[in-house]
Amino acid sequence: MEEKENLTAERSLEIIRESIEQSRRAMTKQSGRPMIWWGSLVVVFAVLIAYLWKNHGGPVWNVLWFVMTLVGIVGNNMMDKRRQPVPRNIIGSVIGKVWASFGIFCCGLGFIVCLAGFGVLSFQSLAPASGNFIPITSIITFALGMASTTTGLILKNRVISICSVIAGISGFFVALRYPGGEQLLVMAAVAVVGLVIPGIIVNIQTRE
Amino acid sequence: MFQPLDPLLHSELRLAVMSLLISAEEAEFPFIKEQTGATAGNLSVQLDKLSEAGYIAVEKTFKGKRPCTICRITPTGLKAFEDYVEALKSYLHTGK
Repeated sequence: MEEKENLTAERSLEIIRESIEQSRRAMTKQSGRPMIWWGSLVVVFAVLIAYLWKNHGGPVWNVLWFVMTLVGIVGNNMMDKRRQPVPRNIIGSVIGKVWASFGIFCCGLGFIVCLAGFGVLSFQSLAPASGNFIPITSIITFALGMASTTTGLILKNRVISICSVIAGISGFFVALRYPGGEQLLVMAAVAVVGLVIPGIIVNIQTRE
Repeated sequence: MFQPLDPLLHSELRLAVMSLLISAEEAEFPFIKEQTGATAGNLSVQLDKLSEAGYIAVEKTFKGKRPCTICRITPTGLKAFEDYVEALKSYLHTGK
């Protein structure tokens, strides 16, 4: 861009519109990689935990979700340092807070259920009316779908929104049908549909 | 009646910089350079002009060991941008 000072009103408006649109596009472009990263991590850990659950000692392996969270945060910070700079704006800030809320709710819920799993709390006191069953995968799947849909709506990206609605709602009901270790495979499928695929599509859409 | 256009904003590169910053809390120099396609030297000169007018605040800091220049729009800049857009409207309405 050069230093032209004889602009028409139309050209001025075009510059303003293009610049604001470029800023929004840059934000969308940067959202693809974290979605693929977190989605892939969920798939790997879900399959691993499902295997260990079935073959080596039962649901106690769900504690690995906390390891996944730590690995995810470290990896995300490393990606942040390497990526091209993006302007900090209200869109990025809102999306960050949506996912932070998702993380807080899931970790909180997971922590309490783990306490019950280790016998520190009793399932009877936590869920007396539901036959000692807490459908944590269904709840987390639903929350993931909501957070991802909100991200898509904020970024005005239809692909993210549609994939997330499908993943969140179908994952909720399918996970209810499989209360054992198989529910983790449902979680893996939800991560593929709700995070990995939209992340790849966003990357393709925003590639220059 | 045409309203006068702020000469500081009525320039392709400075207007693009202000438009980028209007939708962001802050932006780093490499981002602005990439989005505007300007050379580093030219962009620095234009940022200095906007900064001297009080339209943007420029903070020179470090990101790890690398120097990092962060730009933010100021309330004065925001008001000037709003006035500029208002003035533009008068040209467009007359043109119809």
